[in-house]
Amino acid sequence: MLTSVYEQNKRTLITSAVLLLAIAFAYSDLRLTIYGALMPMFEWFETTPFGYVGKTWGAAFATVQAVHLVGLGVLGGAVIAADGRLLGLLLSDVPAKTVVDRSHRVFVWALIALLATGIFMACGVAMKIYYLPVYWYKMLALGAGMLFHFYIRKPLLAHDIDTLNPVVVKLVAIASILVWFMVAATGRWIGFSG
Amino acid sequence: MNELLYNLAVMIDDTQWSTLLHESYYMYNWVESTHVLTLMVSIGILFLIDLRMLGYAFPDVPASKIAARLNTPMLIGFVVMFITGILLFYAVPVRTTQSVWFRIKMVLLVACAVNAFLFHKRMNESVASWDNEPRAPKRIRTGAMLSLVFWSVVVMCGRFIAYDWFDCDRDPNALISFVAGCVDGQTRY
Repeated sequence: MLTSVYEQNKRTLITSAVLLLAIAFAYSDLRLTIYGALMPMFEWFETTPFGYVGKTWGAAFATVQAVHLVGLGVLGGAVIAADGRLLGLLLSDVPAKTVVDRSHRVFVWALIALLATGIFMACGVAMKIYYLPVYWYKMLALGAGMLFHFYIRKPLLAHDIDTLNPVVVKLVAIASILVWFMVAATGRWIGFSG
Repeated sequence: MNELLYNLAVMIDDTQWSTLLHESYYMYNWVESTHVLTLMVSIGILFLIDLRMLGYAFPDVPASKIAARLNTPMLIGFVVMFITGILLFYAVPVRTTQSVWFRIKMVLLVACAVNAFLFHKRMNESVASWDNEPRAPKRIRTGAMLSLVFWSVVVMCGRFIAYDWFDCDRDPNALISFVAGCVDGQTRY
């Protein structure tokens, strides 16, 4: 009985457990312990070739920032197209499955570009961002976004979308737009802080 | 011409609203954040359309459908982007007017507009014959590629405006000074 309930709701239960653990972690002393333990890693980031180039060659850092922004734009376009379709606002005469699947490919490439350029940028200003709360909010939003996209949204939309509850589909679309705009907004705010 | 632009910028800089916007930490940053985040709507969707023409996105969806259905949200994004862009200029008029990157960006925006006009004209003339093809004909692909390059450089220039490498108060060399439009004896930067 319990096994069948678990099997039927595996994804929901695991996601809920992750959320509960994240909340418990946020209020525990373990967070501070891990935060302190991460400092040597951030110090090391600045000594890597990426960190060296990022710190000493302003033009390279700025160029990578610009590529990061272009990647953000492409990721945003893919999110808007797919979630706009799920909300019934865009491309409503194209099957939802087609729009979601084709957008996903663009999304993945944009995400790879964002992560690659993001790691480079983080290395260049590692100690600055280590002390910035907004950087950690961004990482939290990014983690939540990736978990949501690959672990919840994609498996859900792998089903025949027309058979899914339309309210759930719309809520997924709204959550997706919000989480990725949150990632972008917190990223932008890093530039205003510190 | 540069002196005229400088005087105009100083005049805008003297207005109370320009100072208020510039000195408001939250308002200025919100305007700037909106300008950047609108990238996700405007340039993001534009790049999807361009990638469709190049055959890298939505190859099995008719090109005309992608272009037509995504046009409105893209234009809404661009309108917000232009409004916030004007506000950003209004908040820091002198330095922006004399920014090499801002000037390159403005020239490229004109190039983007011309390219977009030609792209749509060519597309509307011929789309019926290749609408369902995964890749558009070469002329259209060239327009899409130019759009990707121009807008990427626009984003790059926009990002570079924040850096003071070539500002007039840093005594740039003659070429940079000429391109930036630095004015002899200027007192405002």
